[in-house]
Amino acid sequence: MDQFTISPSSGMPIYKQLFDQIERMVLNGYFAVGEQLPSVRQVATSLEVNPMTVSKAYGLLEERGYLTRLRGKGMVVAQRNEVVSQQEKFTMLNKMIAELLSQAQQMGVNENEIIALVTACTAKHRQNNSENKE
Amino acid sequence: MSNTNTVISVKGLTKAYKKEQVLKSLDWQVSQGDIVGLLGKNGAGKSTLIKSLLNITDIDSGTITIFDQAHQQLSAASKGRIGYVPQENDEISWLSVDDLIKFRKQFYYQWSDDKVTELIACWNIDSKKTLAELSPGQVQRVLIILALAPMPDLIFFDEPAAALDPGARREFLKEIVSLASTENITIIFSTHIVSDLERVANKVAILEQGKICYFDDLDTTKENVVQLTMRHREEVNIDVPNVLRCKKYHQGQSCIVSKVEHNWLAQMKKQGIEISVNPMGLEDIFLELTA
Repeated sequence: MDQFTISPSSGMPIYKQLFDQIERMVLNGYFAVGEQLPSVRQVATSLEVNPMTVSKAYGLLEERGYLTRLRGKGMVVAQRNEVVSQQEKFTMLNKMIAELLSQAQQMGVNENEIIALVTACTAKHRQNNSENKE
Repeated sequence: MSNTNTVISVKGLTKAYKKEQVLKSLDWQVSQGDIVGLLGKNGAGKSTLIKSLLNITDIDSGTITIFDQAHQQLSAASKGRIGYVPQENDEISWLSVDDLIKFRKQFYYQWSDDKVTELIACWNIDSKKTLAELSPGQVQRVLIILALAPMPDLIFFDEPAAALDPGARREFLKEIVSLASTENITIIFSTHIVSDLERVANKVAILEQGKICYFDDLDTTKENVVQLTMRHREEVNIDVPNVLRCKKYHQGQSCIVSKVEHNWLAQMKKQGIEISVNPMGLEDIFLELTA
């Protein structure tokens, strides 16, 4: 049941940490469509957090269409529109890139240098992947 | 003012010990279902506040209402709904734990023997021993058991984790989490160990200079109180809303605000001023708010 991890002393509220994690786990297919999530009580007990915090995260995920409440089954991963989930993946990546850019800016690294870094990284990644396949 | 789900309502509470003014016209309202972490420095008056609410300590002036009744005229039934774990053990120390439990049970309309048995087993307490023979950590656990046995729906814990080792503290927090699953239970626990309340509290109150100087959702607090880092080349004067503290550097400034204004952030961005928003842990927030 320790599929979620939280850092209580972080400045990010715990419900937000849970929301981000589950959002990612749904988008990357860790939780398949129709799969049941652990109950609020289970998560609260295992993470030792207030159940309201877990409910808040689940509620928000339901609102955003990631989860849906099934009678007698609790929260399950919702069936999603392909186009929408593709857009959401891009939105999430965009957020991560924006963070990277602002970090780079603080370090004084310019745009062209970042593009060069990304290109080099992509090449390395491709090479690693093909080696793994062999 | 008083709505139906207000459990505690305090107005103008004042209390002094000799010449020392501890509580200065304190106002506070706690709603049903809240799990409140009451923070304050040592000597801020957390215990005095809790004891005043429970009518253990006489107050100098002000009014306290609990379950819509004046706290000095609380009915026996209402008193039975309140649990209290004091900071210091004031129980009879020559009675065995078993006898102490039997003794206390007589005073309540409601008492869960199952809860008692469960917690005694879970916390490895030798109930044949007297309180005097137990370690301070074990005594504190017994006090917690005594407070929970009547199945109260309003519970006060005064520095509950102070005498507990880290392992026992986690067990205690687990117990609070499980209590918090009970619908409509209200818990107030005072602590100066900020990390204890981050997992379980949904509200945070800060007692400072005799008043509740801060009371809000824990999540909202973490989202509102942040550090802003601004980078700008020239010497410009930026008016930062809700600022608590600012430090200037030659390439910009770093400020802590009590509430970040997103409209203002967007406006700054338009003017070409990059501002990064850095969240802060509750411990830092507490230190900033009481600085």
